Amino acid sequence: MSEPFSYPDDREEASAAQVRALEALLIEKGVITSTTVDKVLGYFESEMTPLNGQKIVARAWVDPEFARLLTSDTPTAIAQLDLPEGMTGAEGEHIAAVANEPGVHNIVICTLCSCFPWPVLGLPPYWYKDPVFRARAAREPRAVLTELGVPLSEDTEVRVWDSSGHSRWFVVPTRPAGTEGWTEGQLAELVTTESMIGVALAKQPSAT
Amino acid sequence: MTGPGPGTDAGSGTLAYDETGRVRFHASSVADRNQPVFDAEWQRRAFGLAVALSEFGHYPWEDFQRELIASIGSWQDAPDDARGRWEYYQHWVTALAAVIARHRLLDDGYVNPEDRRRPIRPGSR
Repeated sequence: MSEPFSYPDDREEASAAQVRALEALLIEKGVITSTTVDKVLGYFESEMTPLNGQKIVARAWVDPEFARLLTSDTPTAIAQLDLPEGMTGAEGEHIAAVANEPGVHNIVICTLCSCFPWPVLGLPPYWYKDPVFRARAAREPRAVLTELGVPLSEDTEVRVWDSSGHSRWFVVPTRPAGTEGWTEGQLAELVTTESMIGVALAKQPSAT
Repeated sequence: MTGPGPGTDAGSGTLAYDETGRVRFHASSVADRNQPVFDAEWQRRAFGLAVALSEFGHYPWEDFQRELIASIGSWQDAPDDARGRWEYYQHWVTALAAVIARHRLLDDGYVNPEDRRRPIRPGSR
């Protein structure tokens, strides 16, 4: 990946100027107000975080009926929990969960852009949007998972879920052994964003 | 803004793999410390603008997404020496400008969704 010359920062400055100009024009024309963008960003940054996903997974681990509903009708299942309002906004109506099970490991990518279940996982990490990651995870998910520290046995099936405008997937990781009798709050601590994308397993009890 | 490898500058061209070709996450990407999501305020505002306009009904999210896919796709299809460094949010800005133009949000006479009583142009969505 050689880069013969570094690209001048004016490309970055041009993008920044373009965004400022667009927002200013939209405000001037009355399409939005001067607080619209801050309100939306504030909601994203305070309410749409992986804490929601952690609570959902923890409930699925202790409640088999909820777990079944979560994978068959994800928005209905999520609506049963006491999560911030607006879980069905911002594309939340397209959220769909898939569960790891013995012999099956799920991984979520978006091959064309960066679709992500914002309401339950927040904004995607930078690597999720990276062209190399997106291409390799689609082409050789098993190799990528091994490199990330999730070596899977040959008889474990890897299912790759390509998120899109119609389905924004997240993974319910396998509940770690040794957590019998744990509360949902304790269990939620074991659920990382990476495990809900499928590039990691849930944390082991000893690791917390 | 041109970190050469892992552990430097997440999100601004640092690929999700190291010099040996192995995938490796930025230190901030593990154990739920997957910040920073934005490297600069303009990226954050570009994100907020695109989402806000969709949330308030100025266009369906799919229309923004289609522009984003087109911009990313044309970068990926271009030869290595004919395209700039990968910068995700520059595609986002390109898509934002395109969807604003396509839905004529800045045209004189544009009517906000909440002020529309009936379709302005029959046949349009």
